[in-house]
Amino acid sequence: MTRLVQPLRSVFLAGALWSLGGSLAVGAAEPAVPSKPESATLMLLWTPQSQFAGYYVALEKGFFRKRGLEVTLLRGGPDRDQVQDLKEGRTEFTLLWLPTALSARAQGEPILHLGQVVNRSNLAIVGWKDRGVQSLKDLDGRRVSIWGGSFRPAFTTFFRAQGVKPDILTQNFSINLFLLRGVDACSVMRYNEYHMLYQCGVERHELTTFFLSDYDCPLPEDGLYCMEKTFRERPAVCRALVEASMEGWRYAAEHREEALDIVMKQVRQGHIPANRSHMRWMLDTMIDSIFPARPSDWQVGLLNREAYQKTVAILKQAGLIRKELPLDSFSVQEDCVRAP
Amino acid sequence: MLRNVTIGWRMTVLILVGAGCILGAIIGYGYITARRLLEQELRDKACYLAEATANRIETVQRAVEKVGQGLSLQFDREMLAPADIYALLESVVLQNTEVFGSAFAPSPAFLEAYGREAPYVCRPQQPGGPLIRLSLAANNYQYETKDWYTLPRDLGRATWTEPYYDEGGGSVLMVTYAVPCYLRGRTNSFLGVVTCDVSLFWLTDLMASLDLGKRGYAFLISANGTYMTHRRKDFIMNETVFSVAEESGVPALREIGRRMLRGETGFGELISFVTGEASWFAFAPVPSTRWTVGLVFPKKELLDKVFSLSRTLALLGILGFILLLGVALAIARSITRPLRQLEAATKTLSTGNLDAPLPPIEGEDEVARLSRSFDAMRRSLKAHVEQLRATTAAKERIESEIHIARSIQMSLVPRTFPPFPDHDELELFALLDPARDIGGDFYDFFMEKDDHLCLVVGDVSGKGVPAALFMAVTRTFFRTLWNAERDPAATLARLNNELARDNEPSMFVTLFCARIHLPTGRCQYANGGHNPPFVIRADGSIERLPKVKGTLVGGLEDMQFEEGFVDLKPGETLFLYTDGVTEAMNPDEVLTGENWTIDELKKVRTRDCESLIGGMREALKSYAAGAEQSDDITMLAFRLKSVGNHEFTRINTKQ
Repeated sequence: MTRLVQPLRSVFLAGALWSLGGSLAVGAAEPAVPSKPESATLMLLWTPQSQFAGYYVALEKGFFRKRGLEVTLLRGGPDRDQVQDLKEGRTEFTLLWLPTALSARAQGEPILHLGQVVNRSNLAIVGWKDRGVQSLKDLDGRRVSIWGGSFRPAFTTFFRAQGVKPDILTQNFSINLFLLRGVDACSVMRYNEYHMLYQCGVERHELTTFFLSDYDCPLPEDGLYCMEKTFRERPAVCRALVEASMEGWRYAAEHREEALDIVMKQVRQGHIPANRSHMRWMLDTMIDSIFPARPSDWQVGLLNREAYQKTVAILKQAGLIRKELPLDSFSVQEDCVRAP
Repeated sequence: MLRNVTIGWRMTVLILVGAGCILGAIIGYGYITARRLLEQELRDKACYLAEATANRIETVQRAVEKVGQGLSLQFDREMLAPADIYALLESVVLQNTEVFGSAFAPSPAFLEAYGREAPYVCRPQQPGGPLIRLSLAANNYQYETKDWYTLPRDLGRATWTEPYYDEGGGSVLMVTYAVPCYLRGRTNSFLGVVTCDVSLFWLTDLMASLDLGKRGYAFLISANGTYMTHRRKDFIMNETVFSVAEESGVPALREIGRRMLRGETGFGELISFVTGEASWFAFAPVPSTRWTVGLVFPKKELLDKVFSLSRTLALLGILGFILLLGVALAIARSITRPLRQLEAATKTLSTGNLDAPLPPIEGEDEVARLSRSFDAMRRSLKAHVEQLRATTAAKERIESEIHIARSIQMSLVPRTFPPFPDHDELELFALLDPARDIGGDFYDFFMEKDDHLCLVVGDVSGKGVPAALFMAVTRTFFRTLWNAERDPAATLARLNNELARDNEPSMFVTLFCARIHLPTGRCQYANGGHNPPFVIRADGSIERLPKVKGTLVGGLEDMQFEEGFVDLKPGETLFLYTDGVTEAMNPDEVLTGENWTIDELKKVRTRDCESLIGGMREALKSYAAGAEQSDDITMLAFRLKSVGNHEFTRINTKQ
C-alpha cells in the first residue's frame, strides 16, 4: 500500500512545485512525508530554557517529524557564536536576534531571515530605587551595566533618544554585580533577569523598571535564519522548519504545563540551573511576545516592516550598518510563514 | 438522670467525674508545659546549633579569605613569571586543605605580560592524585565574563561569588573568593584577579553531619537565596528560597527568605515543603559570605516524645481511674449499707409494725444517730399509739353514755305532736335543739282537768351534762310543785327555794311558765329571769309580753315572783324561746337580737305552729351561715284557734 501510493504522491508534489517555479534540485526531495526524513540542525540562542519552548515542543510532539524533518536542536550559550556556526556550516539553521542578523548581513554574511518568532522587545533596564533611580533622568551619569555585542545598540539608541548619558559598564551573564550594588542599574530581559531578581528576594517595588518596548524601541528579537544557499537548495525544509516551530509555539501556548514539563526535561538533561517557577514566568512572557494581545500589534511569525525599519535606523545610527537593506532582500518570511 | 440511681452509684460517678476532670487537667497541663519547655529548649538549641554551624563555616571562609588576601599581595608587589605563579598557587592549595583551587587571572591588558597564561591549580577529582595545573586563558574558557573575575574588578574589592559549577575550570560545585590585584597598589592599573576556590563538598558533608533527628535536615543558602546544600538534591543550585515560595504559593516563606538575606537570626514554624509536615526552623547567617545556615525539625518527631510521655501518663491515669472506681464503689457501699438496712426497717415500720426493732448501727456517725433517732421515734410512737388507744376507748364510753343521756333528756320533754288531738281549739309545736349532745334547755306543757294548759320554757345556766342534770332536776321539781300550787308565780317561788337550797355548784335556771285558760284565752304567767315571749296578735302585730318581776330561779332563796295576765284572742299565737334564738351568732360573731327575731317572726306568722317553728329554725341556720351553734335553741309556739267551746271562767289576778 505504502509503496504504491508514495511514488504517485512524489510525482504529484514534484509537479506542483515545478509549477511554483521552485528549484529543480530540491524538487524531487520535497514530499510532505518523505520516505527518508531530511535531517536538519537548529541552533538556539542560549542554553535550554523556556525561551525555546516552542522548538522543544515541536521536537517532542513530532511537529518536525510529521513534516519530514529529523531536527537536531543545538544549544547556544556564551561559548557559541551562532553567525559563525551558521557560516561555517556547524548548523544549517539558527535563531538570531534581528540586530545581530542585520549586523552580520551588513558585514557581508549571506544570511536569510525565514520567520520572526518574537515580535516584542523584552529588553528592560532596572534600577535600585533606594539608590535614587526613580526616573530615566536619574540614570544620567550613573553606573549602569549593559550587555555588550548586538544587545548594546538598542540600549545606546534608547539612552540617546531619552537624552541620558549613563556611565556604561559591560554586563556579563549574571546580575550579581547589580545585586551587590556594584551598579545602580542594569540591563535585564523581561522574561529572564527581571524575574531572576524577584527570585533573589528583590521585591518589584524596590526597583524602577524601564521596558524598552514602552519607549518606541520595538527591536524584534528571536527569528529563524539560515544561509541563502540553504534556502536556495532546500526551500521546503526551510518552510517546514518555520511551520513546525510556530506550531510548537502555538501548542506551548495552549498547553503550558505540558510545555513546561518538556522544557524542564531539557533543562535537567543540560544540567542547567533553573527552576520551574522561573521557567513558567519565562514561558508566559515569551508567549506574550510571540502572540500579540491585540491583532493589530503584529502578525504572528512575520517581521513587522515598521519595526524592521526602526531597527535598521537604530543600527545605522550606532554605526553597525552603513546602508539601507530592504526587508524583501533580507527575508523570505512571506514565502516561509505563509507557505501552504 | 442521676436521681434514679442509688446513692452509692451517684457518689461513685460524681467522684470519678471530678477526679477525671482533675486528672485530665493535670495531664493536659503537663503536656502543654512539657511542650512549651521543649519548644523553648529546642528554640535555644536550634538557634545555637545554627549559629555554631554558621560559625564553623565562617571560620573556614575567613581562613580562605586570609589566604586570598595574602596571595594577592604577592601579585601586587611584582610581576611574577608564570612558572612561579603555578608554584605559588600549588603551595597555597597544598598548604590549605580548605582551598580546592587557586588561580591568577590577569586582565587583558596584562595578558601578554604574563605570557598569555591564566594559571590555575586545583585538586584532582580523585583524592590522592597530583594537583592539576591549567591555564584559564586557553580552551575558550572566557574567564573575563565570569563573576569571579568581573565582580572584584567592577566592585574594586575582594568578594565571594555565588556558588557555581565551574565547567572548564575546577569542574566542581564551588564558591570562589576573588581578590582584585593592582600593580604596586595603584588602583588605576588593574592587574587581574587572584582566586581561592572552596568546594561545596565539605559544606554538604558538614551539613549532613549535623544531628537533627530522623527527619530533620539542614540547608545552606547563598547571598542570593540559592540553595547550596539541601536534602532535596534537585533544589541545589536550581531553586532559591523565593522560587520555592513562588512555586509552593507560600508568601510567608518569601518573607523568611528576605529575613535570611538581611542576615537575621530567626526561629519559626512552617509546613516543610520537603516532608509536608509542620516543622520548626531556625536560621543564622554566615557573615563573611552572607550565606544562611538553616535547620528544619519536624514538630511531630520532637513532640512525639512529649506525646508518648503524656500517653503513658494518660494510660496510668486510666488504670488509676479503674482502681479508683473500685475503691469508690466499695466506700460508697460501706457507707450506704446501714442506710439500706435502715430503709428496709423503716419500710416495715411504715406498715404499722412498730414492734420491729431497728438494726443496731455501731459508731457515732450521722447514720448511727439517724438510726437511733428512728428507734426513739418508733418507741415514742408506740407509746403514743397505746395511750391514744386507751383514750379513745374512754372517750367512746363517755360518748355512748352521753348518747344515752341525750335520749333520756329528750324523753323528758314531750315530743308527740300534735300533743292533744282531741283539742282542736289549740295548736302547739315545740323544738329543742341542744348545741351539744345534751343541753340545759327544756320545755314542757301539760293539760289540767279544768281546761287549763300549762306551758314552760327554761334555760339552765351552763351546758353539757351538769346542765342536763340540773334541767332534769328542775323539770321534775316543777311538775311536782305545779301539782301542789297550780299557779305560776307560787310554783316559781317554791321551785326557787327548792333549787337554791344546797345548791353547791351554784347553778340556776331562767324559766317562763304560763297557765292558759283555753275557753277564754286568758293567760296567767310568771317569769324567772327568762326572755319574755312574743305574742303574735290577730292583726299580725307582734308584741313582747308585758314584763313581770322575777329573778333567776335557784340563785337565792325566798324570792318573790310577780304574776302577769294577757288575753289571747282566737288566732293569736304565743311564741316562747330561749336565748339560743336571740343570741345566735353569724361567722362575724354578731348576735341576732330581738328585732331580728321579730322580723323573722313576721315572715312566718301566718304559718301553722310546726311550720312557724321550722321557718324560724331555717332562718337561724341561714343567719349562722355555717357558724357553730353556740347555745341550745328551744322554741315553742302555741296558737289559740277558738274560744267559747268551754265554760268561760274568769280568773282574778292573784298576787
